[in-house]
Amino acid sequence: MNTKLKVSEISKIYPGCIANDKVSLEFGSGKIYALLGENGAGKSTLVKILSGVVKPDEGEVFLNNESIKLNSPLDAKKNNIGMVFQHFNLFETLSVFENLSIDSDKKDEELRELVNDILKKYNFKIDLDIPVLNLSAGQKQKVEIIRCLIRNPKVLIMDEPTSVLTEQETDDLFISLKQFSKDGILIIYITHKLKEVLSLCDEVAVMRKGKVVSVSNTIDEKIESLANKMVGENLNTIKKKINNFKNSEEILKISNLNFKSDDPYETNLNNLNLSLKKGECLGIAGISGNGQNELFQILSGEIITEGTSIMFRNKEIGKLNPRERREYLMAFSPEDRISQAAVPELKIYENVALNNFKSSNFFEKGLVNEKKIKEHSKKILSNFSVNTDNVELKSQFLSGGNLQKLIIGRELITSPELLVCFNPTWGLDVGAINYIHETLIQINEQGKSSILISTDNDELLKLSDRICVIYKGKLSKIMNADTVTAEKLGILMGGGSID
Amino acid sequence: MSFDLNFIGILIGAIMASSVPLILAASGELITERSGVLNLGVEGMMIIGAISGFALMVVTDNLFFAVVGSMLSGLIISLIFGLLTQSLLTNHVATGLALTIFGIGMSAMIGKNFVGIPGKEFPLLFVNLKESIPFLGPVFFGHSIILYFAFGLPFLTNYFLKKTKTGLIIRAVGDSPTSASNQGINVTLVRYSCILYGGAMCGLAGAYLSLIYTPQWIENMTGGRGWIALALVVFATWSPIKVLIGALIFGGITILQLHMQAVGLRIPVQLLSALPYIMTIIVLVVISRDSRKIKLNTPTSLGQIFYKEK
Repeated sequence: MNTKLKVSEISKIYPGCIANDKVSLEFGSGKIYALLGENGAGKSTLVKILSGVVKPDEGEVFLNNESIKLNSPLDAKKNNIGMVFQHFNLFETLSVFENLSIDSDKKDEELRELVNDILKKYNFKIDLDIPVLNLSAGQKQKVEIIRCLIRNPKVLIMDEPTSVLTEQETDDLFISLKQFSKDGILIIYITHKLKEVLSLCDEVAVMRKGKVVSVSNTIDEKIESLANKMVGENLNTIKKKINNFKNSEEILKISNLNFKSDDPYETNLNNLNLSLKKGECLGIAGISGNGQNELFQILSGEIITEGTSIMFRNKEIGKLNPRERREYLMAFSPEDRISQAAVPELKIYENVALNNFKSSNFFEKGLVNEKKIKEHSKKILSNFSVNTDNVELKSQFLSGGNLQKLIIGRELITSPELLVCFNPTWGLDVGAINYIHETLIQINEQGKSSILISTDNDELLKLSDRICVIYKGKLSKIMNADTVTAEKLGILMGGGSID
Repeated sequence: MSFDLNFIGILIGAIMASSVPLILAASGELITERSGVLNLGVEGMMIIGAISGFALMVVTDNLFFAVVGSMLSGLIISLIFGLLTQSLLTNHVATGLALTIFGIGMSAMIGKNFVGIPGKEFPLLFVNLKESIPFLGPVFFGHSIILYFAFGLPFLTNYFLKKTKTGLIIRAVGDSPTSASNQGINVTLVRYSCILYGGAMCGLAGAYLSLIYTPQWIENMTGGRGWIALALVVFATWSPIKVLIGALIFGGITILQLHMQAVGLRIPVQLLSALPYIMTIIVLVVISRDSRKIKLNTPTSLGQIFYKEK
């Protein structure tokens, strides 16, 4: 079964932005195609058009040389185009089986048999009778995939599928996708992660500002060449100067940090000790869920632990809450931008005002000093090149990269002595990542310190002066960054030892 | 007070009768809410059902037309709610409140000419069985057909939601209208249907009051039962069987406290009158305290406006 899919001269214009500008592409079965681009490049709009969720203003879609109309998701289904969205389209309170049966015409028994066959064939392990809300992100994605497979799809579109997956789950997904491709399904893989394109896909189309800028075989591409096409300019590679901190003054010392949680989903921390010097960046690596969350919350003061000593600039701050710690010039950038760091429904300047302390004078006699906050916010927007100057904009309309710039900017504009950040570039595109990295290097150069908790090893190796690994709530030995390699980190992250 | 088994049977029969309007209205609203629509107009739809049922009975002298007409008028008034919230995307809460106020005013206006007119006797089933069997007779027999329907309805609703495809689609829409729409389900149509069904059931609940329970028209005769029905749905955590239990407890304590007042117990009347509300909430909270089940039964999108991306 050979499938050919062709989009021809597709255009979609939203008020104020051309999402797709005369996009033409051709795909054939037996290959995995990457659609690569930064956030807002128009990839998602294109796949929404292919799945019938959005109607194009102009252009046509051809399946096996026949023009098809995709006016609704039903049309896409009828034409055997399956789609797995980045934000899952599942019904959380319904069981897995109910989720699958809702758009199937088959009898329950038949469907169950079919699903069990699929589970066996692709080695998926999912209990069909538990509610979806009890599944992990990886399992939910499998449910979405199964939902497509039930309909014998000719085309399977995956929209940024790995953004919610762990490394192990990503590996599993790639194995499955290659299998689907062998079985004759045409796969279109949307992403902004360059490594994935090279390791998974056969051909790659790069989109920028709504246009297709290049189509090529992945064999002919390298990470740098793809990154440049994606961003449209030559990215300067950042390199950090390795410093010698022997004579620097110690700014932070944590001893005997223990944390025991009642919540079975949290990780206990076991006798953590660390220290940090002025101008230094300490990287903490690890697979997510090994205690990073808890460590971050203890550093920020969201969790107060008994018997722990946290000395910051020669003062004991272990009992202080986040706001009091900010008064002592600590700053924090949590992992979850949307729910922890900012309130998406609030305007930009209101989000800035949330991070107030005495010296900021945002509030006077219980009243909001709007003018002052707005001025302050404008300064953040321009100093940290956030892509808007409208402080009245609701934060939810900022892209991930711009929101992260706003958050980092909000933290840094008070010139803190220490910045603690947790996965600051998670889910961002290359341009934004580059900017955040430059900023983090800059603060070290200004003699300020930082703690970088991250699950991205490249980032850690690039930015840290010293690195340690957190595994099951315990810290490894702290090593100088120039003696550490990705392999060493990998061993430690998996619980091994390297001496 | 002598212990009379037959008297207890009659008491239970009365309790069942008094809970019928709550069961009907709450079962209807439950379906509406399961599709993600919060219609606070229950009280208004009930009272419209009550007056139109009674008026049709007087005008046509036909109880069948009266009952069907009350359901139709409940349906029509809920159609207003549907148009506003589903097509014009107004806020569910505000629109529902307006619907209640509108219903109460409208019914008083229509009802002016019907005050003081005596009702017609509604046929009761198995009256001879009621009298010949002690205790069980007055419990199970001698009721109107609407009562039997009302007591079957929660079980039917439960089966419908859990076992049928349509029920599954309604739950899916209530869980996530966006996902449902992306699956090709016509969310607006599903929600309209659920709103209309809820309206018809509320109309029927109103007709039960004005045709059977107290067969006459009195202004404001629903007396807050619509609000109780709404509360029942929430406290029963959207489970039809628990709605039935809650309605029976509420009806039961209402009747019992009336008897206690009549006996002249030295408890303040205000406290006795508050008892049904307090006890119903306590019992429902206790029987539905499994937080996992609550999460699974709660329509996640309740009260959220849905519109389709173009």
